Amino acid sequence: MSLDSDLWWAVARSEEVTSQKPLSLDIGDQPVVLWRDNQGIARALEDRCPHRRAPLSLGCIRDNGQIQCGYHGWSYDGETGRLKEIPNMKDQQKFPPIYKANAFAVSEQPGFVRVCLNPKAQAPLNADPKYTYVGTVNVSCSHQEYLNALYDDPGLILSIRGVRFSPYLMSELHEENGMLVMERNCQWHPLHWPSHFVAEFPLTLLTRTHPLTGETQLTLRDDQFHDLLYAVLSPVPSARGVTAVRWRAELGVRHPGVRGAVLRGINPLSVHASVDGSKLRATKPTVSLHGEDLRKVMLETTPATHDQTVAA
Amino acid sequence: MLETADRPVSHDDSSAASSGHSPVALNAINRWVPHNLVMRDSWFPVAHDYSVTGKPVRRAIYSHPIFLWRDNGVVVASEFHPNERIARDKSEFTNTQGRYPVMEHYGVVWIWFGNPLAADPRHLPSLPFLPPKGGLPRHMTATVRFESAAPISLENLIDLTHADFLHADVVGDERSDSETVETFYDSETVTMVRTCVNKSVAPVMKFFSGIKQPTQNVRQVIRIYLRSHCAIAYGRFSPGDDVPLFHPCTPETRDRTRMEMVMNTSNAGLMFRHVMPKAGYKVSRQDSYMTSPQSPRYMRHTDRKDLHSKFDQAGQRYRMAMMELADRQANGDFAYRDNVSADCSDIIGLRKELFRF
Ligand code: FES
Ligand SMILES: [Fe+2]
Repeated sequence: MSLDSDLWWAVARSEEVTSQKPLSLDIGDQPVVLWRDNQGIARALEDRCPHRRAPLSLGCIRDNGQIQCGYHGWSYDGETGRLKEIPNMKDQQKFPPIYKANAFAVSEQPGFVRVCLNPKAQAPLNADPKYTYVGTVNVSCSHQEYLNALYDDPGLILSIRGVRFSPYLMSELHEENGMLVMERNCQWHPLHWPSHFVAEFPLTLLTRTHPLTGETQLTLRDDQFHDLLYAVLSPVPSARGVTAVRWRAELGVRHPGVRGAVLRGINPLSVHASVDGSKLRATKPTVSLHGEDLRKVMLETTPATHDQTVAA
Repeated sequence: MLETADRPVSHDDSSAASSGHSPVALNAINRWVPHNLVMRDSWFPVAHDYSVTGKPVRRAIYSHPIFLWRDNGVVVASEFHPNERIARDKSEFTNTQGRYPVMEHYGVVWIWFGNPLAADPRHLPSLPFLPPKGGLPRHMTATVRFESAAPISLENLIDLTHADFLHADVVGDERSDSETVETFYDSETVTMVRTCVNKSVAPVMKFFSGIKQPTQNVRQVIRIYLRSHCAIAYGRFSPGDDVPLFHPCTPETRDRTRMEMVMNTSNAGLMFRHVMPKAGYKVSRQDSYMTSPQSPRYMRHTDRKDLHSKFDQAGQRYRMAMMELADRQANGDFAYRDNVSADCSDIIGLRKELFRF
């Protein structure tokens, strides 16, 4: 899969990136190793040692913040990717500039670590609020199919406690400030009345999706326009057609009564680790078809911006 | 000294003339696609002699099937199972009965893979630390499999700097007062000799040979027989023991390797004699932790060149020698220009008095 190299991908949750153990992940076909150096800064290099191609993620992080390959112990600086040390090489520890691993740009807001394959890319400007609920899943489903599932029936990929997604849209997928935005009617669970005969829906799920990365902001609202739940979902295309999904969620205003209480129970949001294939294939593409057309038009008219992450 | 000529292609703006290599050698190092190197007209070790009995066992060389069994005590190597309803053509590597040339030597069963008429015991690699008729106790032997191309495993073996790092818990760390590495080669072999003065004592020796001194002098030899994909790994530790290891990397397929290991520890102390061969299991797992993910990354040619350090000279020589031999074979030249069966005791510095058969 070839990807626009200027995109910023939210590839990890902040707490997943440590100085203890390198994290291995992919952006499309590109293996990436991610870690935190001795100053707490997240670093990303190609997960391939330029010496003999061993994955750097099998190595370790040294006290000086450099990553050390586990095979022959070459150490690399995270910011530049440059080779800093070869064990046993007492006579020479200065290496020509071509002795380096590919370095990628990293940017971190509280919550997510974002990586851009273009090392010179401008970091996105935005601040993520605090989130209480987090998760990481690897779903065996391609990035686009995953997003199509989200558009056509969010129930295929996630659940919100006490909430049922209806097939009725409040607003079809449309473009808003460079994002793909839609709003879906929802009901409280259990149902009192089939959604087909409901006059007023008590809830809506608003989603705002970046047309290229698919990073999506979700907001659950009640009919009084209170934000009950807010979440960010970041699907990243990974090796073998897998989509790696990181998410964070936070509760908003408390909805009165039992229903509001149910929503505030443990894990208001859960993102599924797998997609039910029989349900998925039977789900008719409706919103996603429309979305495809819309995306095409958007990408033709507006060039991808660097600051494509969702605003808080 | 760094081999700066071997730079990633995207930065390759200055000419290769700045390097000490001829362009051919440079290309060889960086055109390295080990999965494409298929050697023939060679003896390949496929089994410990004791594992071949009346009941056929299955092996392979480059995916070509081999069935081994004994007929009145004599080893038979056939490309067909005796119970097989034959529905495929015989290959060019066997005689009219579908039999490979086969011989038993050094306690190992060897298959001639290539033109059957060219099979000759004179092309069997010299392994002077193994009794020619076999008979070492079984605890000195093992079978280990690697999920990597055989040349990747051999490159791993001849590159000893990874040992100080990846196998530090078994062979000791990188600290030593001085270290020299020499490489010798001919058209069929590459031999590397590494000498370390006052090296940290290998933990296995500390525990099982009872070495009290903090350091030891070490002389390690790796000798690779290119065609057979066989290696000798011979360590002389003083104080300490002599540990000669037969380390074949038989290419059962182009990216799966079988090692019928024999470690002759007859001269070592009782504990060490029994424990050291078992260390092979641990060491090989550590190796494959790196070689397994490494191997697929060499499966296809890439323009991105590997980086090298001065410690990689033996490995570079191995790459070059393999590619030269492969080029010759691609042109139909399967002749041996050097004698692989000539006694290599002197080359590997074997203390012959310890290995008399
Ligand atoms: S492969 Fe990384 S140091 Fe050799
Ligand atoms: Fe090793």
